[in-house]
Amino acid sequence: MEIEGLISYLVSLIILSGIYAIFSLGLNIQWGYTGLFNIGIAGFFCIGAYTSALITSPMPSGIYAQYVNQVFGLGLPFIFGILGAAIVCGLIALLIGIPTLKLKEDYLAISTIGIAETIRLIFNNERWLANGPRGLMGLSQPLSHLVEPKHYNYIYLFIVLLFLLIIYLSIERAIRSPWGRVLRAIREDEIATAMSGKNILSFKMQSLVLGSMIMGIGGALYAHYTKSISPDVFTPLYGTFIVWVMLMVGGSGNNKGAVLGAFVVWAIWIGTSFATELLPTTLKAKAPYIRFLLIGILLEIVLLYRPQGLLGEEKKISRFIE
Amino acid sequence: MFELFFYGIVLGSIIALGSIGLSLIYGILRFANFAHGDLMTAGAYLALFFVTQLFEWLGIPDNTIGSLSFGIRMIITFPIVMIIISLLSIIIDQILYDPLRMKKSSPVILAMASLGVSFIIQMMVIIIWGSDSLFYKPGILRPAMELPLNIKIRPDQIFIILVVFFSISSLHLFLKYTRMGKAMRATSDNPELAKVTGIQTRNIIRLTWAIGGAMAALGGILYGIDVQLHPGMGWGFLLPLFAAAILGGIGNMYGAMIGGLVLGVVQQLSTSFLLPTYKPAIAFIIMILILIVRPQGIFGGRTLWK
Amino acid sequence: MILLELIELTSGYGKTDILNNFSLTLNKEEILSIIGPNGAGKSTLLKTIFGLLIPKKGTIRFQEEEVTGLSPDKMVRKGMGYVPQTENVFPSLTVQENLEMGAFIKKEINQNKLDEIYALFPILIPKRKEKVGRLSGGMRQMVAMGRALMLDPKVLLLDEPTASLAPLLVGMIFEKIVEINKNGVALIIVEQNAKETLRISHRGCVMAMGRKIFEDKGLAILNNKEIGRLYLGG
Repeated sequence: MEIEGLISYLVSLIILSGIYAIFSLGLNIQWGYTGLFNIGIAGFFCIGAYTSALITSPMPSGIYAQYVNQVFGLGLPFIFGILGAAIVCGLIALLIGIPTLKLKEDYLAISTIGIAETIRLIFNNERWLANGPRGLMGLSQPLSHLVEPKHYNYIYLFIVLLFLLIIYLSIERAIRSPWGRVLRAIREDEIATAMSGKNILSFKMQSLVLGSMIMGIGGALYAHYTKSISPDVFTPLYGTFIVWVMLMVGGSGNNKGAVLGAFVVWAIWIGTSFATELLPTTLKAKAPYIRFLLIGILLEIVLLYRPQGLLGEEKKISRFIE
Repeated sequence: MFELFFYGIVLGSIIALGSIGLSLIYGILRFANFAHGDLMTAGAYLALFFVTQLFEWLGIPDNTIGSLSFGIRMIITFPIVMIIISLLSIIIDQILYDPLRMKKSSPVILAMASLGVSFIIQMMVIIIWGSDSLFYKPGILRPAMELPLNIKIRPDQIFIILVVFFSISSLHLFLKYTRMGKAMRATSDNPELAKVTGIQTRNIIRLTWAIGGAMAALGGILYGIDVQLHPGMGWGFLLPLFAAAILGGIGNMYGAMIGGLVLGVVQQLSTSFLLPTYKPAIAFIIMILILIVRPQGIFGGRTLWK
Repeated sequence: MILLELIELTSGYGKTDILNNFSLTLNKEEILSIIGPNGAGKSTLLKTIFGLLIPKKGTIRFQEEEVTGLSPDKMVRKGMGYVPQTENVFPSLTVQENLEMGAFIKKEINQNKLDEIYALFPILIPKRKEKVGRLSGGMRQMVAMGRALMLDPKVLLLDEPTASLAPLLVGMIFEKIVEINKNGVALIIVEQNAKETLRISHRGCVMAMGRKIFEDKGLAILNNKEIGRLYLGG
């Protein structure tokens, strides 16, 4: 591979790792800090991506209108797409949270699976919503007028890393605040925290909504990177499971861990694709599944032998204590 | 309408097999087994191997029995696959869940591990058999019989209902009248006290997995006979299984059975105004409704509140 | 004859020690009461003896045999029974089934033994097929004790058997305890109802902060004004 190809490959690697790192950070707020078992990440991923797509794409016109159905299309700039994604995801999280946050973790988990599946089914079957299984294509890319297409990814890399940094720093700040300490206290001992007068439900809801909004942003960033989305992108495997593996590998309860985990697991994911090149042809077609099998086994190994992940949980609990 | 109802019973009895196992496992082991649907998948595909490959190679005849769509091969396959999946379930527990329990891991960690198992099973199925839909006997005509009230029903489906009825009755008798069955119920009630009484929880746990796995495998095979096999079939069952178990009261076997039937019927009836692919969504809505309105389920089980 | 010997037991949960260097002996067919304020470690003592908690230091000898740290199911086989304070029955099982669980380690159901237990608690006879969860507190306690007696234990450990029972039932339970003892079973009873339990006990032991404060014959403790003032509420 010549240098330029290698660099552009690396750039796309980092972009996707960065996007998944954002999902991981969102999950970390919910699980790592508050102990909410959300297995419906794919749902927020999906909503974030589609919301941004619909906001930023114009309504199809002309011949196009015969092939593409959209429920709305605002043709607004990228930043509105991101905002819209975050807001809509936050609202959906609020709706889900109302019936399910009172329940035990396992029940929250199965409810989140249900939500994610239902969301995916709706997007897949309701063609009027967002073009059904064919999905939406030709999504706009911010600042694309600045450079030639083949160099665009460098700009997008910058955008993704910028969002990642902003989100990371905001969360770090929030976690060290009194608000963040309550979240942690809830995860450690909910009953005791309730006894000290905190409204547990309200805090859990805030954590759920905030985490989901971040995931929505990740979804939007994903959509504008790949330029086309369809329901089969947001499967439990690609959309939910892999983020969990990332967080557990990196270290739940630790924002650096969340980011690290994303990069490590994505690197493993890409790395295994090279390894499967060496497989005999009969198995090559099954390569992605073999790789996923390995990711699954990785999770089990982490849970058994190093459940705290690479970095373990953060020790610093307050910005006032050094 | 009656036809949909009837088919709902058929589907519901398959769901019941799975949800009973799920409920048992939750009652005794206190965690949500997200891989339960995939135990059904594993059973179905393993049966495929036996029926279409191993027995073919062994030269066992393939003639269908009466108007059923399968023959001797499948009949022998049932117990064999159920036993294998029972053993598999026990082994998975030994190497994965048990060490985690020893470390006093929270139920969430266990559930997460089961999520991993779910994906591992699905991937292995795709690697070995591919991701297309498969059938035990491709291309076979499945003539339906006509019953009064204009219900068309396939002989296979009558078989399914009978088999499920028989298995659930056996399980009921086992739990009610045998020493180990009572010990299982006792452990489900109060695991600490069971230990105090001298019941060896390790054996109870193995027995629970064996029963849960066997019934799931049976359900998977029956579904494969009735509809088809595809790698995501188990995951597609997950929501109905949980909804059924929660509806009946988690930990309550009889509730899970009724829950299964109700889920099956409601899902089928929903196809009269919704696309069939929305069935899992229907299951989900039922589940959410129960969780809001009566979280302990119709028959009451463990409480869901912390 | 010494049945059970506890030698300098220290045990607790995590880093905290609840039981501190505690020593005690129990004689054959003796009723020994353990009384003291809340948090004294009385329940922890029973759990440690029965193997639900492994002591950090010290030895337990049962019938001249070292049994320190043996798991409950082994203690059951050696002839010890234990009735926890709460959640001491299987609520969804019937009375009969609860009793049968008591004899679980014997594969066969001993009908004679069942008859004996029913003779001891005749009030349970008409309730045999009822789910225990539906019975009153007093009856549940009887089922709990009956269950522990199914294997003819030499020692029965009772953790606050009359807690949350109406006064009328309290007297009845103590009557049953005396009857059980007459049948040859030694008992260690942890109780809040200090006066009632000392009245029927051969010996008593006062515990506080995980240590033994005082030990004497049951009636002696009862008549001891000093102890009475400090620990028995005057």
